[in-house]
Order: sequence, then structure tokens, then C-alpha cells
Amino acid sequence: MDKESPRIGVFVCHCGLNIAGVVDVKELVEFAKTLPDVVYAKDNRYTCADPGQEEIRKGIKEHNLNRVVVAACSPRMHEPTFRRTVSEAGLNPFLFEMANIREFSSWCHQSTPKEATEKAKDIVRMAIAKAKLLQPLKEIEVPVTNKALVIGGGIAGINSALDLAEMGFKVYLLEKNESIGGHMAQLDKTFPTLDCSICIEGPKMVDVGRHPNIEIISFADLVSASGYVGNFKVKIKKKPRYVIHENCTGCGECKEVCPIEYPNEWDINMGVRKAISIPFEQAVPLVYTINMDYCIECYKCVDACGARQAINFDQKPEEIEIDVGAIIVAIGFEEYLPYADPLYGYGKYDNVITALEFERLILAAGPTGGKVIRASDGEKPHSVVFIQCVGSRDVNKYEYCSGFCCMYTLKHSVMLKEKYKDNIQVYVIYTDLRSDFKGYEEFYNRAKKGGAHFVRTKLENRSIVEDAKTKNLIVHAETMGGKPVEIEAEMVVLANAAVAVQNATELAEILNISIDANGFFVECQPKIRPTETDTPGIFLAGACQGLKDIPYSVSQGSGAAALAATVLSKPTWIIAPLVAKVNEDICSGCGVCESVCGYDAVKIEQINGKELAKVTEGLCRGCGICSAACPAGAITMPLYTKEQVIAQLRAVLEKVK
Amino acid sequence: MPMKTQKITTDNQLIIERRHHAKTYKLTIDQASCVGCELCSLICPREAIKVTKKPKIEGEKAERPTIDVDEAKCHYCGMCVAICPYGAVHVAVDGENISLVVEKESFPKLIREISVDTTKCPTDCKECEEVCPLNLIKIESNSIKAQVTVEILKERCPCCGLCDVKCPEGAIQVRRIFTGKLRIDQEKCPSECRDCLDACPITGALFLDEKDKIRVNELFCTYCGVCKIVCPEEGALELSRSTIRHTPIRSGAWNKALEKLASTLEVTKELRGKGKKRAMEAVKKRLETRRKQIG
Ligand SMILES: Cc1cc2nc3c(=O)[nH]c(=O)nc-3n(C[C@H](O)[C@H](O)[C@H](O)COP(=O)(O)OP(=O)(O)OC[C@H]3O[C@@H](n4cnc5c(N)ncnc54)[C@H](O)[C@@H]3O)c2cc1C
Ligand code: SF4
Repeated sequence: MDKESPRIGVFVCHCGLNIAGVVDVKELVEFAKTLPDVVYAKDNRYTCADPGQEEIRKGIKEHNLNRVVVAACSPRMHEPTFRRTVSEAGLNPFLFEMANIREFSSWCHQSTPKEATEKAKDIVRMAIAKAKLLQPLKEIEVPVTNKALVIGGGIAGINSALDLAEMGFKVYLLEKNESIGGHMAQLDKTFPTLDCSICIEGPKMVDVGRHPNIEIISFADLVSASGYVGNFKVKIKKKPRYVIHENCTGCGECKEVCPIEYPNEWDINMGVRKAISIPFEQAVPLVYTINMDYCIECYKCVDACGARQAINFDQKPEEIEIDVGAIIVAIGFEEYLPYADPLYGYGKYDNVITALEFERLILAAGPTGGKVIRASDGEKPHSVVFIQCVGSRDVNKYEYCSGFCCMYTLKHSVMLKEKYKDNIQVYVIYTDLRSDFKGYEEFYNRAKKGGAHFVRTKLENRSIVEDAKTKNLIVHAETMGGKPVEIEAEMVVLANAAVAVQNATELAEILNISIDANGFFVECQPKIRPTETDTPGIFLAGACQGLKDIPYSVSQGSGAAALAATVLSKPTWIIAPLVAKVNEDICSGCGVCESVCGYDAVKIEQINGKELAKVTEGLCRGCGICSAACPAGAITMPLYTKEQVIAQLRAVLEKVK
Repeated sequence: MPMKTQKITTDNQLIIERRHHAKTYKLTIDQASCVGCELCSLICPREAIKVTKKPKIEGEKAERPTIDVDEAKCHYCGMCVAICPYGAVHVAVDGENISLVVEKESFPKLIREISVDTTKCPTDCKECEEVCPLNLIKIESNSIKAQVTVEILKERCPCCGLCDVKCPEGAIQVRRIFTGKLRIDQEKCPSECRDCLDACPITGALFLDEKDKIRVNELFCTYCGVCKIVCPEEGALELSRSTIRHTPIRSGAWNKALEKLASTLEVTKELRGKGKKRAMEAVKKRLETRRKQIG
């Protein structure tokens, strides 16, 4: 084919009126015909539609075309479509070039159709100049390991793992804590239906624990990851539990004899746990853990465990390596604790708590046995003020809306009113109440009917002062109209912002995916590809991609599983051959390419006794930075060769000459 | 309310507190009873207790060392409560005095064996009340009924045995909690220095001989070790404990504490043989079965 002289076919698309409404399509076709090596040109109303594609296939056959140019929209959308079309007609899919005359001309020059047509001609001329120099390329095929890694065992990760396991894939579920469950396992009830949180999540957690295709790797951290789609290698470090997983029956006899009590993070330190214990009753896996920071090594637990011999004080951290084909990141969110914000007195006033603390307080299995009581005197409060947007929607803290706090506050108000009836006054200080999505507005109405008072105030000018004697709290705010509001409450609950997980940055670096300014993982495309990352084979689920409540975390968890399955279900994965190519005769092994590559895709290696740049095709994204940086010009991008780019420039500058 | 910790120091008490929403832990050190010895700080598993020598003021008597507890480190296990021979430390959970480690039999109680046969007491005798260096004895006598009651604040008694020795009738019998050795190297002991003598809470345990040299009367020494802390001269004072009378126990934590308390090799070994050896063996056996399982 190389030697063959080019026979180019040009297909100009109307895109309905998107292009044809501005650009003179007929004139463009006639113009194309005048260009050297163009043997056929034709216009279509919708080239991407079936008849349009058929025209291309027909053109190739009838005119013996060996290069095809489609002048239409952005290649982002339909380049893959047309590559497929030309290959169906027997042409190498890479002997195809797209000229974007919609975004680059008709859309941006709507008021000047004549000039738009001239610009479209330039764009087509350039595409043809490049098309002449196109070479057939072969797609790259890599094997796929059909196992998945899910990072984070919250409700999102749990769903990803279960779905993949049900599809028949082996799944490793990595959880940094002792148990899976995430935030949902800490909640009492869930909006908008008020079903018991652990009662609906617990069975799922048990399913995860029992599923033959799922291996939970809990109390462990991701250390490193390498490789590419279909072929990731990850290293995981398991922290020692000092309890042998296989021998522990979860009976809890050890806990009974253990003398040491330490703050239970699971209860937001509102309660305590034993030095040997599980964080909560429904923990999965049900394996006890000794916290060596607190253990006094009295060995009472060893005695209690007896013949089961599950306790091993010699356990060491263990590093394991696993191979997977796809990775789902589902590490959730954390809380912003407003210690440093003097407005709310959190940490200073006994009776100011966060919403998550409130969940633990009202939960029957919580540290107070479900009694909502004040820390200052152990009494049930008669008035509670909920304050919304603490840290959220605040340009000085977190500009975004945390998304689920309005709804959980409605939930808390309903629960309090239903539990204590007229014995409690409930106020909600809010700025905007967000109750979109299914069943949420109805829930808002239920809360209003329930008797909670909703007080709309500005986000600014709020403050809380404690009455030193009664330990009551005087809440000050300002209505939208500027009138002062003052409410005395026996307890204040803050809807504190939800924030990105602290070590998300570290994880992003290990996995080579991006995070945004707020620390949430960046999706490939916010509207149509919200579950994919820019790194093929790595997907996102749950609150770590952007704050979302349980139903939406669950949905995205399942979505990520489906996407991962698109990789795992194939024996091999095809990578477009748009990767950097090294000319070994010219390469001097200087290493500039290695230093500029953002994906670790090019490395200097010893090849036949010579230091040479070597590209790992699975990792290369074809960005071309190495090619531009190479001082010797030894690296080419197969679809953007120097010759092709120069030919395009010549073509557009021809007129100027 | 998130978890809160705080420390309050008053003239007679040092209090640290950890408050959870529904549970409060409190440790109190009674400054008057605390002699500033090293025992609690030696065994504290979190190294939360620091005993520091007070800087000496020229020409004045040496003061007792000061005690401080790190509220961020303490986890209220109650080992200090159990070991303090002077009963100066208390831990309360939700207002109730308790030593969690003693309660769960992870740590022994000291045995204070004091018996008084009041039938031997003459109604006019107050010898023991007078000699008790810590003022723990109260005598009430009823000369008409020829009855004497002797009340001893047992939980604060280090069992120095002064009353036992001094009782003219042999009515009190005290068994020592700690036995051991305290030696003063007269070569190294600076001749003008009286620091240990000043700090020692037990009258007569240390005394000046006719040549103005400090001597030990091991009959009364409680081996608490405060003398060692205040002694300015390295190696001038040598202290070792050999036995501690305590309730029977099988606990690794106690064995560890014992290693720190008792420096005599034989004692450590003997006690190890009792408890830790078994635990060690158990661990070894466990590892072996596991290895077999894997292999
Ligand atoms: C007070 C409060 C009340 C709420 N009430 C409701 C409600 O009623 N209804 C509702 O729909 N939503 C509610 N929500 C929101 C709900 O909690 C979230 O939607 C949900 O938890 C998101 O699930 P997730 O799996 O994405 O994240 P998470 O629940 O945060 O789970 C993430 C998991 O990943 C683990 N992890 C984190 N980092 C790593 C790492 N580096 N490596 C390995 N594992 C890691 C974590 O330990 C955790 O197990 C509430 C939230 C709050 C704060
Ligand atoms: S969800 Fe409601 S309370 Fe939470 S940040 Fe958004 S608006 Fe504020």
C-alpha cells in the first residue's frame, strides 16, 4: 500500500443544519474534488447514520479508495465510528482522517457563512494533506487478568464487589479499616424511608463475606500499583491484628476478660472499646483485633481463647502482591470537624455535636443505648437546633454543597419528633433546603408536618454562645431580610461538611488518576463518563467521586462493576496503536523522554548493550510530550508524524504564499 | 461533644480526666499521700507518669519529687492504683473507684498483712499512733471498759513495720510488702548531703550515725525508691527489690511490671517460671500448629 499512489475519498457531512446551515456544503464538495489525489467527493445529510456510513463503504469499493477523509464533527465522538466503517470496507482503519468543520467552523462562525465556508475548505485541505501520508497501523492486543480490585468497603464498594462476583469474576475488596461497611454502618436510620441502616447494609456485608468469589483484604493499605488496563500489579500491606483470622470464631470471650478500654473511633470516640475487640457487632470479617498501642499484654485473652489458639502476639505486617485487570476506587468521604471555627464552639461547648455524633447517639446500639442525652449533664434535651451548611457552601472553607446533609437533618428532625413528640422542640436553621430526587420532597413535607420549625437564615452572621451555668446554647442568626434570630437550645447539631478522604492524594498518585481542587477523584467526563477515570481500567464509585447519598453511591457502585466487566470479560484488550514509537538507531538514551512522561510509560533500558528508550504500550496515552521533547527526534507518534504535521501546516499556509 | 481530656492541678490533688459523651474516666493523685517514689512511673504501660526531682534550693531541705501524668497518654488501666504502697492514686470510671486491671485479674493487689491483738493493748498506750510516720493509726481507748480500738488506714499503709517494732506489748504484727536491699556507698555519698534523709517518708529507715554518715535501717525501709530519685550522686545509692507480696496472679502484664520493679535475677526468673513461661510456650505452640497448617 505504501508504494501505491493515494486515492482519496472526501465525505462532507451536513449534520442536519448544524453544518449545512452555515457552510456551503456543495461548494466544499466541489472544492475537494479539485484537490490533487482526491478521486471522489460526496456530501451526506448525516454521515454517522447508517445510510451515511453505507455511502463511505460504497465509495471505497466503487472508486477503489485507499484513504478516506470525513469532514464533519469533532473526532471525539465519531472517529471510532468511521474507523470501523472504513475497516468494514476492507481498509485499514488508520487510513482515515477527520476534518472538524462543525466545532471549528460552522458553530463558531454562524454569522459569517462565506468565511466559514472558506475556513472549512482550509480544514479539509489540511486533512487531505495529512491523509496522503497516513500509514496502515496495527492495533495492539494485550492479555487481560480477569480479576478485579475494589478499594474501599463502603456501600459503593460493597455493591461493586457483589455485582462483579455475581458475574463470575474474582474480586479483592481492600478495606483500610478492620471491617467493611463504611459510613452507612454508622448510621441509625436512612432517609427517605427511615429503614434501619445496618439492617439493610448488614446482610450485604455478610454476602460479601460469604461470597466464594470475594476475598476481603481488611485492615490493609495499598502500597503501590503498576501496569495498565487488564494487567495491573498491586502491592498491599496487611496490618497485624494479632489474631489469627482462620482460628478466630468471633465468640468475644476475649473481650470479656480484657481489662483495657480505649476510645472507639467507630463511635466517634463517644464510647469505648476493649484492647481486643471488634469495632461494632456486625463487623465483617468477624475477626477480633488487638490494638497494641493500648494492650498491656496480660495474656488474659490467650487464656480465654484457650484451645482455639487464635491469638498470636508475634504477628507481623504482611505484604502481598496481586494481579488484577480492573480497579474500582470507592474510598468515600470524611468529615470536616469545625474545631477551629469559633462560631460554633465545637469541642468547646459540651452540647454542640456533629450530625454523625447525633447518629451514634440516637442509635440503639450506640454508646448511650439510643438515648439522646447532653454530654454536660446526661439529661435529655427539650430543644434542639440543627444548623445547616457548617463549612459547606462557604467560599472560605468548602465552596461546594455537601449534598446529603439537608436530607439527613430532615431525617433527624423527623426521628426526634416521632420519638419525643411534644416533649421536644426542633429548629432547623438553613439557607436553602435541598430535597431533589425521588421521594425527598415528600420527606421534607413529612418533616414539616412533624412539627419541626424551619428557620431560613443567611449563611453569614451565625454564632453560638454557651450559657456557662445551664450549658444551654444561644444560637444567633439573621433572616434573609436582615432580622436577627435568637434561639435558646439545650443541644445543637451541626451539619458539618463532608470532605474528601485525606489520603486520596496519595492514592491518586499511586494509581495515576487525578483529583480536583477539593480532593475528589476526577471523572473522565462529568456528564457522560462520570464513572471512569482518565486511566483506562480504573473506575470510580460512591462519594469519593463527588458527594452523594446511599442510593446514588449504590448505583454508581453497580455502574463501575459493569464498566469493569467490559474489561474483565474479554480475553484480550485492544489498545489503539497511537502510542509513541522509538527509532532505536537515533535514540541516544539521554532520558529526557522518561523525565517528561506523566504516565511512567517510557523508560531507559539496556537493549542489546545499548541504553535506549523503551515504551510500555499499555501505559502510553499517546499524548506526544516525549516526541516533542526528544532532542534527537527519535520518538514519533504514529498518527501525528512530523511529516504529517508539516504537510498540514504547508497546506494551510499555501494560500498565504 | 467530641472526646475531651483535661488536667487540673490543685494544691492537694492532681486530676486528669477523659470525658466521652456518656462515660468519664478520672485519675486522681493525692499530693499529700504521694511521696514521689518511682513505683508507678516504673510500671506504667503507657509511660504516662513522670516523677521529677525538684531543683534543690541552697541551704534548704530537699523536697519530695513532683509527679506528673500525661493526660494524652494515660488510659486509666489502674496499674498505678494497684502498685502504690501509699494508696495515693485513684481511678474512677463514671464516679466509681475502680482499678480495671485488678477487677479483671490482670494485675495483683498488694497484700497488706497487719494484725492487731487489742487484748494486749494497755489503755494508756499510744505508742503506735505516735510512731506511725504517715499518721495512719488512730487509737481509741476506753479505760472504764479496759477496751482499746486500733484503727489503721490500711489502704494507705506501706507496711514499714515501725509500729510492729515499737509496740512494747508485741500487739501489732506487720508483714512487709516489699523486701530487698538498699546500700549506701559511703565513698560516693557526699558528706554534707542529706537529700535522701529529707525525702524518705519513713522515720528511721535512714539515719545519721555517730560519724554523721547516712545509714540504712532495713528493718523499716519500704523500698519505694524515693531516695534514689533525689540522690544527686550517681551510684551512691543502690536499691534492689527481691520480693513483693501480692495476691496470686497469672498475667503477662504483671510479669513485665515485675521485671521493672524487682532487679534480682532469681526473683524475675522464678516468677517467669510461674506465668510468662506458659504464655511463651503457648505462643510457640500456636506458631508451630500454624506453620504445620500452612506447610
Ligand atoms: C451524618 C450522616 C448521615 C447520613 N444519612 C444518610 C441517609 O440517611 N441516607 C443516605 O442515603 N445517605 C446518608 N448519608 C450519606 C452516606 O453516608 C453516603 O452516601 C455513603 O456512606 C457513601 O458511601 P461510600 O461507599 O461512597 O463511602 P463511605 O461510606 O465513606 O465508605 C468508604 C470506605 O472506604 C474505606 N477507605 C477509605 N480510604 C481508604 C483507602 N485508602 N484504602 C482502603 N479503604 C479505604 C473507608 O474505610 C470506608 O469503609 C449520611 C451521611 C452522614 C455524614
Ligand atoms: S446539603 Fe444542605 S446542609 Fe448540606 S451543604 Fe448542601 S445545602 Fe448545606
